[in-house]
Amino acid sequence: MATNDGVVVQTSPLRKVGRYALLAFILLWCLFPFMWLIDTSLKLGDAALNSPSLSQGPFGLDNYRSVFDQGFGYNLRNSAIVAGTTTIVCITIGSLAAYALARLPLKGKVLILSAILAVALFPSVALVPPLYELWLNLGLLNTYPGLYIPYTAFTLPLTIFILTTFYASIPKDLEEQARVDGATAFQAFYKIVLPLAAPGVFAAAIIVFVYAWNEFLLSSTFAPRDLAAQTVPVAIAAFTGSVEFQRPIGTVTAACVIVTIPMIIGTLILQRRITAGLTAGAVKG
Amino acid sequence: MSATTVAERAPTVGGKKSLSDSALARFFLSPSVLVMALVAAFPIFYAIILSLYVYQGRLREGFGGLENYTEALSSSRFWDAVQATFIFTVSSVSAEFLIGLGFALIMRQVFIGRGITRASILVPWVIPTVIAAQLWYFMFSVTPGFVNYALGLDRFNWLGQPGWAMFSIVFADVWKTAPFVALLLLAGLQTIPDEMYESARVDGATTWQRFWYITMPLLKPAILVALLFRTIDALRVFDLPQVMTGGSFNTESLSILVQRYVVQTPNPGLGSALSTLTFIIVLIIGVLFVRALGRDFVLNVEDE
Repeated sequence: MATNDGVVVQTSPLRKVGRYALLAFILLWCLFPFMWLIDTSLKLGDAALNSPSLSQGPFGLDNYRSVFDQGFGYNLRNSAIVAGTTTIVCITIGSLAAYALARLPLKGKVLILSAILAVALFPSVALVPPLYELWLNLGLLNTYPGLYIPYTAFTLPLTIFILTTFYASIPKDLEEQARVDGATAFQAFYKIVLPLAAPGVFAAAIIVFVYAWNEFLLSSTFAPRDLAAQTVPVAIAAFTGSVEFQRPIGTVTAACVIVTIPMIIGTLILQRRITAGLTAGAVKG
Repeated sequence: MSATTVAERAPTVGGKKSLSDSALARFFLSPSVLVMALVAAFPIFYAIILSLYVYQGRLREGFGGLENYTEALSSSRFWDAVQATFIFTVSSVSAEFLIGLGFALIMRQVFIGRGITRASILVPWVIPTVIAAQLWYFMFSVTPGFVNYALGLDRFNWLGQPGWAMFSIVFADVWKTAPFVALLLLAGLQTIPDEMYESARVDGATTWQRFWYITMPLLKPAILVALLFRTIDALRVFDLPQVMTGGSFNTESLSILVQRYVVQTPNPGLGSALSTLTFIIVLIIGVLFVRALGRDFVLNVEDE
């Protein structure tokens, strides 16, 4: 019985069918809940609550209108600003740190990397009571910096791990040649290493953005209601009806679809880069 | 070393070296270290200080020493949260590992459709956990009751009873994260050279033997890294129980409990004591894991 562990060897047709059936199962696992989400968000009125059947109408776009009537546009704006700022700050300072760790002479590298790893393993909930007190005194509750400052601190370890791996994979010769020709270490980094590491930087940026976009514990504590800073996940969790059992299914699912569709399209387009970044850092975003 | 004094200034443009390499290294590292020290390390010490004071609501009443810790450790609510967190962590991480490994092994063996599978496997990962929570909340709810409909059950209340409520939360987490584990393990699988399987096959090894004596040992580093980060992540679970059950029916995790004493019934002293205890628990488990992984995990970043 020949099995196929990556090399093309003749395989019995039955095994082949079995394998593709399993592959179809993986696809279904990953994608079916979204089909259901889209289907439910299009059901009008009570139809979504009354029948589990996928084809039970009437269908329409009313839920989408009511999502934006509840100020969801502000939430999208807030999330974009917070996640965008986190990404820019984190990548800027993280890429410098990673270059120092990958290429420059430094005493106590192991110690620094261990400290960075410690922050990566940090439970963010440990920061909730002390940071709440600090933000209260500094007036940072319900503001953008109140969110992107801790997000930056939490995404830095991951960024540094990913970028250190990418920098280390760039051949040293080019850089050394530039140094021989009289470039400073900073110029070698800025003009040679950074452009070559662009794919890695981009991968790290996507992962940081996704983390900041999805974060819920800190955002629901530091900016729970105020539309001036409330982010998308907090808004989606807050779409609750008067009674717990009457969560407005249509609005919630429509809001979920609005957020999810661009993210899925982006993921499909950027798949290779995201995979490279995730497996380089081997860490969850 | 003499160049340390100019480390803070921007390097001069031109061929001349204005900074020594090690000074530049420190200069490059300093913003990151500063941010992590101020936002991650400092608040931990601040939390320890806060936890030593007694509060009535948000009002400080005076120094209480370890009073908050005695209160936390003697409350059944704390131990219930510890229990819920551990049940969630052990069951979700083990299910995610087994399913993730299965997915990775299938994906390695299949050629047609691999690209689309690799792309769609990222979809549950990219979705905000809050959305996954709402999605599965409605799936498991009695109305519309899609899970009951699919299983042929009649109005079974998944989210409204102890045990099954936790099951639903674990299920949602496994759905979202097993594909991610698969992605990490697949990357590990692809570093195993095909020749090893070839020669094992020539030597007459069965599929099971090849899996057990080649795949598993060589995949061990990837497995340990995936387990480490999944375990730490699971211990701080918040989004799923918060949205799916609000912490009722024995699903109140440590993160939810701590957040309660910040938002619902504010008490900076007790809240900080609880967050410090949570920090210590996660820290101990993290240290145990990293010790099991060995120093190579930290070092492999360095030796290129």
